[in-house]
Formats: sequence, C-alpha cells, structure tokens
Amino acid sequence: MNQASKSNNTLQSNPLFELGKERLELIGKHADALMQGYLQGHVDEAAFTVQALDKLINGRILWRPDEQQPLALRPNVNDLIASLTQDERKRQINSDVGEHLDQIHTRVQSLQAARQKGDYAATEHHMQLLTERVYDMTGQFGDAIESLWHRLNTEFGFVSSLDDKILEIELAQRQLRRILDGFSIINFDDLIQLAGSDGALRKLLVSQLQARISEHSGSLLEVQKRLVLLMARFRHQQDRALLINRMSAFLRQHPNFQVGDYPNRSQVPAVVNQAHGIKAQAFVALDRAQDGYALAELARAVPREPEQGSQSETQTEGFAVAVQSLVATEQKQLAKDVEDFFIRVIESPEPLSGVDYLAEQELTWDPEIWLFQVVAEYEGLPQQSKQSFMLEKERTPKSRFNQLYIIKDVKVGMRFFGDFQAVG
Amino acid sequence: MIEHGPLLERLLEGEFICTVTDEHSFHKLQNEALVEEFNHFLRPLNRRVAKSEDSSVYFLAYCDLNQNARHHLSGQFASTVQSLLPMLEWMQLVQEALGRDGALSAGDTIKLQDFESKVVDNQSLMQRLAHLAADKVFKSSSDKADMQIKQVFKRIKELGYLHQPHKDRLFYIVTGKIEHLIELVRFIKDEENLPIDDVPEQEAMF
Repeated sequence: MNQASKSNNTLQSNPLFELGKERLELIGKHADALMQGYLQGHVDEAAFTVQALDKLINGRILWRPDEQQPLALRPNVNDLIASLTQDERKRQINSDVGEHLDQIHTRVQSLQAARQKGDYAATEHHMQLLTERVYDMTGQFGDAIESLWHRLNTEFGFVSSLDDKILEIELAQRQLRRILDGFSIINFDDLIQLAGSDGALRKLLVSQLQARISEHSGSLLEVQKRLVLLMARFRHQQDRALLINRMSAFLRQHPNFQVGDYPNRSQVPAVVNQAHGIKAQAFVALDRAQDGYALAELARAVPREPEQGSQSETQTEGFAVAVQSLVATEQKQLAKDVEDFFIRVIESPEPLSGVDYLAEQELTWDPEIWLFQVVAEYEGLPQQSKQSFMLEKERTPKSRFNQLYIIKDVKVGMRFFGDFQAVG
Repeated sequence: MIEHGPLLERLLEGEFICTVTDEHSFHKLQNEALVEEFNHFLRPLNRRVAKSEDSSVYFLAYCDLNQNARHHLSGQFASTVQSLLPMLEWMQLVQEALGRDGALSAGDTIKLQDFESKVVDNQSLMQRLAHLAADKVFKSSSDKADMQIKQVFKRIKELGYLHQPHKDRLFYIVTGKIEHLIELVRFIKDEENLPIDDVPEQEAMF
C-alpha cells in the first residue's frame, strides 16, 4: 500500500502528468463545440472565448490547416473521436508495419546497451517502452480489423448509395491487402535473433506476437471472404438495377420496338416456355354406388333457403300462408312505388307532395299507408343520403286536449337544391 | 403421389412456386427424384416442371412445343411483353420511393402505407404513379394516389409478382416470379442486341 502510493506520487510529480490531465480536461470542457467541429469539419470560432481558443490551439487540440482555412480539430483528435464512436466514415486504418518494426529494433538495441552498462533503471524504462510499442502495433491491427468487421456487419450502411458501397468495399479490400502485406514483413527469425537468450524478450517479441498475428491473420482472411461475398451481392444488385433502368429507358424511347417471335422459333428459348394454366373441374356423378352415401351427405349439408321452408308450411296450412305471401308481394310493390316517388323527387325542381303524387299516378294505396311508407323510407335512408332530402310533414292536431297530430301530407324535396343546380 | 395432389393441381393451374408463396412446396420441388415422378405424371398433359435459371422459382413448361403449345405461348408472351415496361417502371418507382439501394428482388417486403406516404410527398413520384396507373395493364381510372396504388398492387398480385400474406393487411412480399421476369429482360437484351450496355460509356464521354 505504502509502496503503491509512493509510486503514485512519483508519477504525479512527472510534469507530463499535469499537462496531460489539463488537456484531457480541456477536451471534456469544450466537448459540445468540439463535437460540432468534428461533424462539420471545422469549428465555429464564435463558440469560444479568445482565451479558450488560445488554450485549445496551444493544447494541440485545434489547428488552422492553412491561413485561409477555418480552425479545425487536429487529425489526431479527429482519429480519437472516430475510433471512440466507431465512425467508419472517418476512421483511419493504419497499417504501417515497417515503422513499428524499426522502432522495435531500435528499442531492443537501447535496452541491450543499457543492460550491458548495468543501468537498471534505464533497462526498466526501455523494456516498458518496448512492451508498449509491441502492444501498440498489435492493438493497431486489432483496431483495423475491428473496424473492417464493423463495416462489414453494418453492410457499409454509413454510405447510402450502392455505388458508394462498392467503392467502400474496394477501399476496405485494399486496406486489408496492406495489413496482410504488413504481416508478411514481420520476420520471426529476425525477432528470435534479436531477442537472443532473454526469456522476457522472447516471450514478448516471439511467442506472444506470433500468437496475436496468427489470430489477426485468421480474422482477416474471414473478412476478406465476406467482403468478396458482399461485393458479389452488391454487384448483382447494381447489375439488376442497371438492367431495369436501361431496359425501361430503351422501351420508352422506342415505343414501336418489336420483340422477336420467340414462341414460334424452331428452338423456343426456355425462358418463354411456360405452360398455360388448366383447371381440373369435376362434377357430381352417380354412376358409382359406393359414392352414394357421401353424395347424399353432401346434399343434406347444402344450406336451404328459408323460403323453401315456408313452402312446406304452405302445404300444411294452406290459406293463411297464401295470404301472408300475398301481403309480402303487396308490401314489395308498395316499397317499389315509394322508391319511384323518391326518384321523381330527385328529378323534380320543387318539393313534391306525397298525396298529390298518389293521385297523379292513380295508385290504389290507402293514403295513410302510403304516407307511412314514405316517412318510413325517408327514415330508413342511410345518414348521408338522408341529408340530401328534405321532408316536411303537414300535420294538424287531433284535438286540443292532447299532443296528438295527424299527418295529412308530406312534402319531399332535395335539400340545398340551389347548390346542386349551381354545380350542375 | 396422392399427397402431392394439391401441389400438382396448383402447378397445373399455372402457379409459380417459390419460397415466398409456399416454402414447403418449394423445398419439395428441390427434390430431383420427386420432380422426376411429377414429370412422369405430367407427361400426357404435355407438361414438365421447369425452374428459373437461378432456381428461385418453379412452374410448368411444355414438353412438346406443338402447334397448340406455341399458340398458348404466343398469347402469353405477347401479354408479358405488353406488361414489361409498366412492370419495370413499377419496380423503379418502388425502389426510388422506398430509397432502396438495389432493384426489387424476391423476398423484399413492401408496406403500402410507407410507399404511399413517400409517393405523396414527392410531386414527380406522384406524376409517375398516375402515369403508370393509367396504363392499360393497371387500368386505374381514379385520380387519387391511394386508389391508384391499391389498383396497381392488386394487379401485380394477380400477375403473380406479389404475395399478400394477410388478406386484410396491405403488406406485400415480392415473389420469385420477378426473377423470372428479370431473366426474360436479360434474355431480350442479349437476343435483340439492344445497345443498352453502351449507355455508361456514352455518359462518360460527356
């Protein structure tokens, strides 16, 4: 515990500690404006005070790429945000292996020199930097591969058009190629020699690195395979869309274009050979005794119309039912006459009187029944149609002592007649 | 064979069987031995089981291209050719309205409501829809976009290019028959040596 706090103290006394912390805080403090700058490609200077701008520029967070250009995020800050947010539009893939290997070589040489001198602290320091460098390298590949997977799994959804997606796949394929090329530069024989008999170095530079690289290679090969498949699919889609667009454009431009008479060629192309549909119909047949029962069942199951039922009643009850059916027929005739009346109303420019119409048409209905039917028909109309008609009852009180009225006549006309005429 | 009666009947009626319209039957038809049996049965009816080049849809074709078969083929081909441009325009319209990357293909779903809201938002799509709906293949006399859309989709469903899983829901799936149509388009292009492959080069020149 004591030792840990002591090492904490020594770390905190490192001047880098304060500076780094201050700058990280600076980023956090201006997160809103910086993110806007990230998305827009440049920052809005008005969003900061002069002091804040100075700090951000001195802090190597913002810069001015060119005197004419507005302030923007430094590339490293852009990369940081892209990597944190998995923003594939801006994420960089760094596949430069050679640089890493050079640094590793130099680091190992410094380490061995320090060790020969017996400088324990310097040896420690170089070992730490070397370890970081190796992990940086594999981590970078890991990030690159992760980015490739991410793009693949989202099917390059960060660009919208198919053409752009195909370009993005081509780019990803080139990046992948470069990473694989980078792997081939790593010569493990060299590294084994470099590590010599030092167990820790051997572990770091040979066994661990080898395991990571072979894992990454496996992953990359899988990405490569999937990219090829996705590319084939996109190309197929693109091809189809082009075919459709061009064919329809062609047909529009050549309305009289005649397609060959493929069906009557000696060799009919398979694509037009398509048999016409035939319906296999079958009917009731009584020529097989064993079907009799099943057919009878079916016949019994046929739903009967209610009228057929009343027919059998006719036979048993005779007279009463005959009157009933007579009434039904009369009722139908009445309804029809009322309907004709309404049709006349529609044609007539003025409201018509029900009683007058009855007389005029020499219909034999009792006026009371007639009026009743007219009112019933009006009331029975659907709401919408009802609104088109206007029904006025002409009524007189039966007596002074109660509220009973007798309807003497009804006048039916079209509502808003003037409007209708205007429209017509 | 008895158990395959309903499937045979549907094929005989002229249905196209794909994974969208009937996945179970589609898998049955992938069995070559069974197709062999079907063909044996269908032989007297002058029919055999055929499939599209990409094997995405099965249907019946004639065995013998006799006079009668050719007569039917001519009629059918003429009506397919007549509906070709409207179908292609419909595919373009759907693709553009729904903002899809690629052309429509079997298995794509189309919600009529989505389609309608996109079309109504855009004057040029509206005009194209109206033009398309008035075509003699679709015969819509309505001037309302929703009615035109309903009519167009109804007709395309009748033609077998769309499948509607629920009768009362306006939601369609593109069937494998569309692949067959695309194959026909490609065939016509190659067979008639249509100069439509040169278009990009011409564009590049400008």
